Amino acid sequence: MTTLATPPPQVPLRTAETKRRLWGLIAEFDNPALILQAAERVRHAGYTLWDCHTPFPVHGLDAAMGIRRTILPVLVFMGGLTGATLALVLQVFTNGTALSFWALVWVTGYPFLVSGKPFWSIPAFIPVIFELTVLLSALTAAFGMFFLNGLPRLSHPLFGNRHFLRASDDRFFVSIDARDPNFLRSRTEGLLRSLGARRVEAVEE
Amino acid sequence: MSHAAAYDAPDLSDRSIIGTGLSATARLALLVGFVCLAVAVAIGWRSEDPGHVAKVWLQNWLFGLAIALGGLFFVFIQHLTHAGWSVAVRRPAEALMSNLLWLWAGFIPFVVLHLQGRLSIVWPWFDMAAIRSADPAEAALVEAKAGYLNPQFFFIRAAAYFVVWAALAFFFWRNSVAQDSDGSVARSSRMERVAAPATLLFGLSITFASVDWIMGLSPAWFSTIFGVYFFAGCCAAGFSALALVCLRLQAAGYLKGVITAEHYQDIGKLIFAFGIVFWAYIAFSQYMLIWYANIPEENTWYLARQLGEWKWVSAALLLGHFCIPFLFLISRWTKRYKVGLTIGAIWMLAFAWLDLYYLVHPHIPHGLGKHENYAALAAAHADESAHFGDPLNWLMLAGVLGLISGFTLMRLREHPLVCRRDPRLDESLHFHNI
Repeated sequence: MTTLATPPPQVPLRTAETKRRLWGLIAEFDNPALILQAAERVRHAGYTLWDCHTPFPVHGLDAAMGIRRTILPVLVFMGGLTGATLALVLQVFTNGTALSFWALVWVTGYPFLVSGKPFWSIPAFIPVIFELTVLLSALTAAFGMFFLNGLPRLSHPLFGNRHFLRASDDRFFVSIDARDPNFLRSRTEGLLRSLGARRVEAVEE
Repeated sequence: MSHAAAYDAPDLSDRSIIGTGLSATARLALLVGFVCLAVAVAIGWRSEDPGHVAKVWLQNWLFGLAIALGGLFFVFIQHLTHAGWSVAVRRPAEALMSNLLWLWAGFIPFVVLHLQGRLSIVWPWFDMAAIRSADPAEAALVEAKAGYLNPQFFFIRAAAYFVVWAALAFFFWRNSVAQDSDGSVARSSRMERVAAPATLLFGLSITFASVDWIMGLSPAWFSTIFGVYFFAGCCAAGFSALALVCLRLQAAGYLKGVITAEHYQDIGKLIFAFGIVFWAYIAFSQYMLIWYANIPEENTWYLARQLGEWKWVSAALLLGHFCIPFLFLISRWTKRYKVGLTIGAIWMLAFAWLDLYYLVHPHIPHGLGKHENYAALAAAHADESAHFGDPLNWLMLAGVLGLISGFTLMRLREHPLVCRRDPRLDESLHFHNI
């Protein structure tokens, strides 16, 4: 990690001293008001590969960053629908069919008379349909959230920055990825400094 | 919509939160209510079937009661959970709840019927001799309940429910409006303390009230989950009415920026969770146990609801009280978008009414055992009518809705439309769903 006292005019993707690739820049702010304002400006400057890191949820930050709503609810709905269908098919097949079909082994349903009810009794199927709907919805919500957040991953270049640790305590950070089409080290650093950051640093991979 | 434009500054000036302009609407609603009820009484008076007239009144009165009880539940649950988000919408809920101060009067017709010795036209167990002659087996079941189902205890219980409901409504209303002038934080603490025993009293009173007034219509029948089912219906009616009152007040130019999409989304969530999903969960739990066991003293209640036209009412409830609104209100935007929530709330209010219709009106035919099989029984009762064409239904519904909206607006007219000095008002005004 290098502090950016004298940025070179042409931005090399590898810094001279370490020959490691530049991951991006981070700017550290003192309070939520500054980061809200910073987020607005970074968004208006046209950046797309960037993020904010705060110790607690800051109201209005999503709007300031222009984050679109997550598609997670749609995935959860699909998950629930899959669960419901799966439960229905499973029960219709196992309770109601004496059909055998070839799936590597002979597979057959197991029609079993309970309380004189028909083999296909929707009311009896509903508890299982309900449970599998809830189960697959919940699993989709949890694992879909991990997936959409790019998790699991073992580490992240940002964690190499000593100051960044305070993102979980009392400081607010904006990070801009060097792969962003608008990223130009000198210009991006100038923008971050103009937003009132107490510190702007380069982060290497 | 940009971030800056999304923030609509709350307007707490008198123009926005003092509802004096509501007087005309309130008077109109009361006029409509009283006129409709008067016409209904005039028609009902000459009816050849006074039992049916009394049941139509029972069902519509219960609908009004469900709305007010839903409002009461909303109010004390906010205090119980120390909720901050809901302060901006608590006053309309308190106004709905305040209807409990007069709704007891709707029970007077039943007292009069009892004094005339005719109350068995509504609750058959008031005339045991008639049950005994019609169906001795049923009479044996009902006689075993005489310790609970007897006229003295019935009226004592009814009086107790009305006292509990009116006392709770009076307490929460009085403290809330007194806080508007004195701003005393101690009132909030006091309401939170009372909310805990209120929950207990509320749960017990509506459970036994639904057993007395609805389950008692088929006295041989029993379902231990019935009180919970009625509670879910109260939530559907009360929360939907709350959403509609808030939406109408804002449409009339009040509460600008005070009630936001965030509050609407949360009211929508409550309608969705309690009025739609929880209701279906309880309704199905009750149905499945009875369907599976399939014993005559339980399943006749559902049998009566799948004969003739009633099977369409049952199917309509499954679709209209659960499937359709579930898919409609599950989305975030329908709850936040005013037109979406208006449609959802009117829809749920209508089906809460239909739910009570389905609970109150069908009667279990005597002598079910004389039929060869189910097909013969269904054929014999194929022309069972649900009487939707009866104008009494609609007159009494208009009457109850007129009185409920009229008295609700009367309340709101006398006091600020928002709990203006509640210590958590600021939190509520800046509330955001994550």
